[in-house]
Amino acid sequence: MNRPRDVLDALRATIVGQDDVVDGLVLALIAGGHLLLEGAPGVAKTLACRALAAAVGGVFRRVQFTPDLLPSDIVGTRIFDQKSAEFTTVLGPLFANVVLADEINRAPAKVQSALLEGMQERRATIGLQTLDLPAPFVVLATMNPYDSDGTYPLPLAQLDRFLAKVVVTYPSRDEERSIVDRFGAGEPPLRRDAATLDDVLRWQREAHSVFFDAKLRDYAIDIARATRGADMVAHGASPRAALALVALGRARAYLEDRDFATPDDVRDIAPAVLRHRVSYDDRLAITGGDPEDVVRRIVASVPAP
Amino acid sequence: MAVAASLTLAAPADALRRLHVDALSMRADRNHVAIGEVFHLAIRARLREDVAALDELVVPDVGTLQLEGDERHVTRSPAGTDVVETLTLEATARGRYTIRGAYVDAIDARTGKPTRFSADTVTIVVDNPGLASAVTAGQIVRALLIAGALILAVLGAIVGLPALARARRRREAATVGPTPVVPVAPARTARDEVAEALRAFRRTPETAALLRLRAALFAAAGAKPGATLRDAVRSGADERLRPALIAAERAAFGPASGRDAAAAALARAAEAWLS
Repeated sequence: MNRPRDVLDALRATIVGQDDVVDGLVLALIAGGHLLLEGAPGVAKTLACRALAAAVGGVFRRVQFTPDLLPSDIVGTRIFDQKSAEFTTVLGPLFANVVLADEINRAPAKVQSALLEGMQERRATIGLQTLDLPAPFVVLATMNPYDSDGTYPLPLAQLDRFLAKVVVTYPSRDEERSIVDRFGAGEPPLRRDAATLDDVLRWQREAHSVFFDAKLRDYAIDIARATRGADMVAHGASPRAALALVALGRARAYLEDRDFATPDDVRDIAPAVLRHRVSYDDRLAITGGDPEDVVRRIVASVPAP
Repeated sequence: MAVAASLTLAAPADALRRLHVDALSMRADRNHVAIGEVFHLAIRARLREDVAALDELVVPDVGTLQLEGDERHVTRSPAGTDVVETLTLEATARGRYTIRGAYVDAIDARTGKPTRFSADTVTIVVDNPGLASAVTAGQIVRALLIAGALILAVLGAIVGLPALARARRRREAATVGPTPVVPVAPARTARDEVAEALRAFRRTPETAALLRLRAALFAAAGAKPGATLRDAVRSGADERLRPALIAAERAAFGPASGRDAAAAALARAAEAWLS
């Protein structure tokens, strides 16, 4: 019987380094949530998403978000077939198991809303038809922190729909050497079928039943609440943050073959859960502070049970 | 004033510090108070050694008196260390309260023996508000008389100050002379805490006792309160403690269905570490 660790191994066989990204992808898959990836171009964000889809045998679609994109470009549309004299439905790239929304902040709000509605409802409406999206369904959205001209930043309410945000960093020198060696003669084939889509659905069910103690639930709530009114924070995290801490805490325990979550599970994933749910006040920009430090301080300020 | 008592139990000498305790006293700023009134209990210790802290100073249990504050000040100099701990207390119920003296367990540098230095007990009388006010008025009159006597004493002291200082040194030295009294236990170690928490857990294997045992194990590993299992494991703990730490995590956060087995495993692991 396949385990999530098999997918993790398949991803690590393809991706050099980037442990946070690889772990984040598998945890989001187990928790049944969506992931935001932020990093400079060329740091294997797209490759990681393709590798994930290949590892679970899922359908992968990539949408490059641009300012002229329309909602129908991602959801689908109805086309009049002159031969049959009927409208036929053409499904958009949203109808896939792993959807990569590349540079999500380059599309206007209307398109972002269509995607986020699909993420939330797990269904999409084309004309008069409302169709369920495939299961499992995971959206991996990338954002480039540079080149912000002509972008449409996602409001907090929409960022909140993402379970976690992973910051993709540049590789180390040794990792970069491995990348050149591994990819210098062309991209190696992706590791396929480390698991099946049915395995993923089973993992999601089983992870949901991982025991989450009441003391731990209170710890997750305290962490989410600590963001509100924290120093340098303009707006704290919503209650969705506590829900995400619980979901990802369970997923992490499941990934480690445990039937119960621990304070380490919650504390480890807390920065990824909080960093996109918090907005910072002007003092942070003026003092040149690092938002990651603010989040780390908030998490560290809450004693574990 | 301090009373020194030899520790006749098998005191681990390496667990106690070698100290010259020249004085240890405990005094309340008021011995008659009314319900709801706040008063202070000052504990003073004088050591000949220059120490950063006096963790051996054990403050007394104040029973049903409400503890409002606790401040400790340490004044160091090459000539020695003065430690002053002030407890702010509030009387909540009528009665006569006898507070046992604060104490310090140490190797007496004079005799080389494990010794408990104890301050005298303090008695506080708590009355209803009206009665206490009357007492307070009486105390004011007495205080005025004492102040007059003090002025006379100061005048006398100016004349015979050197002799007074010599007499004081002799008196202090006399008050801390070792006097064998009741045997007492040595300072508690992390191992003692784990052993006691384990006994309590075996007596009553409930959540509170379980969390106490887990906290004792984490403390034994060198982890601070609020730390996680990874912190405890990484804090350079004794490798043999690790199974007990992991067992404590499962017992504290594992599913209810497996809690009995987890509790039994925890008790075994803690016992194994203690043995």
